[in-house]
Amino acid sequence: MVENIVEMENIIKNFGLVHAVKTGNFNLRKGEIHSLIGENGAGKSTMMKLLYGMYPIDGGSIKVRGQLLENLTPKIAIENGIGMVHQEFMLVENLTVLENIILGFEPTKGSVIDFDLARKTVTKFIEQYGMNVQLNKKVHQISVGEAQRVEIIKILTRGAEVIILDEPTAVLTPQEADRLFEIMENLKNDGKSIIFISHKLNEVMKVSDRITVMRHGDYMGTVKKEDTSPSELAKMMIGREVFLDLKKEKATPGEVICQVKDLWTSGNKETSKVRGISFDVRAGEIVGLAGIDGNGQSELVEAITGLRKIEKGSVTLDGKDITNLSPKKIRENGMTHIPEDRNLRGLNRQLTIKDNLLASRIDDKKFKHHFLRKDSSILEESNNLIGEFDIRPTDPETLLSSLSGGNAQKIVVAREISTVGNLLVAAQPTRGVDIGAIESIRSIIQEQKKKGIGIILISADLEEIISLSDRIIVIHEGHISGKIDVKDANEENLGLLMMGGKDTSREGLNLEGLNE
Amino acid sequence: MDLSSILNASLIYATFRSATPIIYAALCASLTQQADILNIGTEGIMLTGAFAAVAISYTTGSWVLAIIVAMLAGLLMAAIMAVANIKYGADICAIGMGINMFAIAITKFLMTSVFGMRGTFSNPDIVAIPRVVIPGLESIPFLNEVFNGWALTEWFVIVFIVLMWFLLFKTKWGLHLRSVGQYPMAAQTAGINVTSMKYQAILISGLIGGLAGAHLSLGYSRLFTENMTNNRGFMGVAAMFFGNAHPVWTSVGCLVFGLTDSIGARLQAYGIAAQLVLMLPYIVTIVVLSISMVSKYYTKKRRQSSLLLIR
Ligand SMILES: Nc1ncnc2c1ncn2[C@@H]1O[C@H](COP(=O)(O)OP(=O)(O)O)[C@@H](O)[C@H]1O
Ligand SMILES: [Mg+2]
Repeated sequence: MVENIVEMENIIKNFGLVHAVKTGNFNLRKGEIHSLIGENGAGKSTMMKLLYGMYPIDGGSIKVRGQLLENLTPKIAIENGIGMVHQEFMLVENLTVLENIILGFEPTKGSVIDFDLARKTVTKFIEQYGMNVQLNKKVHQISVGEAQRVEIIKILTRGAEVIILDEPTAVLTPQEADRLFEIMENLKNDGKSIIFISHKLNEVMKVSDRITVMRHGDYMGTVKKEDTSPSELAKMMIGREVFLDLKKEKATPGEVICQVKDLWTSGNKETSKVRGISFDVRAGEIVGLAGIDGNGQSELVEAITGLRKIEKGSVTLDGKDITNLSPKKIRENGMTHIPEDRNLRGLNRQLTIKDNLLASRIDDKKFKHHFLRKDSSILEESNNLIGEFDIRPTDPETLLSSLSGGNAQKIVVAREISTVGNLLVAAQPTRGVDIGAIESIRSIIQEQKKKGIGIILISADLEEIISLSDRIIVIHEGHISGKIDVKDANEENLGLLMMGGKDTSREGLNLEGLNE
Repeated sequence: MDLSSILNASLIYATFRSATPIIYAALCASLTQQADILNIGTEGIMLTGAFAAVAISYTTGSWVLAIIVAMLAGLLMAAIMAVANIKYGADICAIGMGINMFAIAITKFLMTSVFGMRGTFSNPDIVAIPRVVIPGLESIPFLNEVFNGWALTEWFVIVFIVLMWFLLFKTKWGLHLRSVGQYPMAAQTAGINVTSMKYQAILISGLIGGLAGAHLSLGYSRLFTENMTNNRGFMGVAAMFFGNAHPVWTSVGCLVFGLTDSIGARLQAYGIAAQLVLMLPYIVTIVVLSISMVSKYYTKKRRQSSLLLIR
């Protein structure tokens, strides 16, 4: 008899009209590593947040060690030995690592927090699992990898027996991920049970004992690792066979379109400040910028597109200096931008499809009549774009709030592609969209390259970078840690560079300006 | 104009005396601010407290009871704010302004209808908060002038600043409150009840605001007049911004306001236009706030700049 430490049956969870989980089933045996996989939006995080008591369930039952738990809250979950490392870290930036670890479970001496005792207890756990963290640093001063270890230590000190890791490898290099897998193995040998969420099939095949698949909020089944294969899992996840091996168009790069020279710009974190980056983009080629999130890629994109002040250095587009011009001026010079967060910068969710499609051309003569908008031409152009980019629903008056992630992203893509002159900056163009949309967005980008547009592609997804780019530039802590031709690139050497690896650009690094 | 008659020993107490009511108000605003709630209602809570204190002191003759009831009155006002904001999702600034207007109206109404007074409620039967006379200090003129005769609540405010600092930065409750203010999701996942912490913050801040009012009407003075807080609550909020809701720095901000207030009073004696003098505290408020915002902006910019290495 194997003991199920967690049993979740027929779970239902709705957020308003969104059916996040429709038939949630999941059970966890003591001492196993059980992966939960599914596409973006399949309901994996929601399922686990329900187990952790973050939201109440709308239906079904949750049992831990055979005991039915109703009205679960994080507090009750913790008391039952459940710990969760969330996809977004739950760390308070302005508190120290130690304060974050003990938060909610502070040892006290009289009415005061006993920091000495806390340090002692926490250090014991750190040593037991060989995890290296700096307890006195503020959280905003430490790296992502370290923050993740802090999260793991945090839940261990709270006595977690069931450890939920929500897409822990998304923020790690392949090498760091391997180190995480060792820690997971240690924890398992120590009798802990682990739930590992991911959508990277190779990782899942590497670490799991069993695998549960979800699709669009539904339970698709649970399999033993020995009895399955990556292609079978992919089919369960997506519902059909998909091969994202898009045939790469050979690049025939022309003139240099965009030149970034010794660019310095500010960053919210120490590691995301851009410090002296230079590269060129030629017409008809895709330059991929790889790197772990938070190493300055976002800041670099904002600087190039006019959204962040360039503190030093320059950007030229088609021979013209566009350094620190307004985003509007930069667009007029032919650059367009698919921003990394479509909901923050790409779209207005309260407006209609047509308003979003033509937002950047509202001043065009074609679409206005003195001070009024010219609805007939706006509608006509919207319908064209909707057809061309296969946006659904097809009614241009539909409010954006009712669209799926994939179609919303297609609207951003349609707007930016339809107005591009010579350079497209595509930041995370397929993040959080379904497989179908990924395929079409990727082939649209390829087409632009064929037309002779220069493209800067930023993606956290190595597979996407490798399959689309002609040249790859790896960024680490705001510096270029390597430039590789795509022929020579693989996960191994890119991963190494993403961690700083061998760092050619740093040699002879221009240190003036540091002490100004 | 004789400078030494403006800047002399008695100015020290005068400054502290004008600052104290603002310090209480500022601590009231700081506590909720640590939970990321902007307490615009400080002014109204304080005014209600001031009225309740005078009313109870007059009817019962007990300043202790007066303070207690004033704090409860503050708590009641804060409770309205808390329920409206947390339970029903009302905008905190809107409900805060509502509380301020309500406080002006209700105190005026009760003053006329219950006590039959108009404009000012003063009466020999109102018992003030006692003043502390330190025996033996009379023989040292300077210290005597500076320290003798403080109201009990003026001494207490010093203890209170330290107490607040201790509560926020040394205790479990303070750590929970700050985590709720900075990243509520993180607090929630640590098993902290975010809603309950927010209620606690607003309610306790109501008690402090009530105390601020009691001090104003029974310690600082011994009467109640319509709208007697006269924007001290808002100055407290400004000082809170200046001090980043840290009790000590916030209080320093209040002392700056106290200083202008007392210097202003002296300048008036020299025939400087009363209107100008009356403007002084507000001008200083704007200047102090601008300086603190600008310096925060540049500190942030410097911290984020790529051209500087921060250790
Ligand atoms: N708090 C929330 N409010 C509204 N919708 C949500 C919320 N959390 C998740 N969703 C929606 O529920 C669905 C499942 O999300 P999620 O569980 O995060 O998926 P996964 O982790 O598998 O990528 C998505 O459509 C998402 O937009
Ligand atoms: Mg998720």
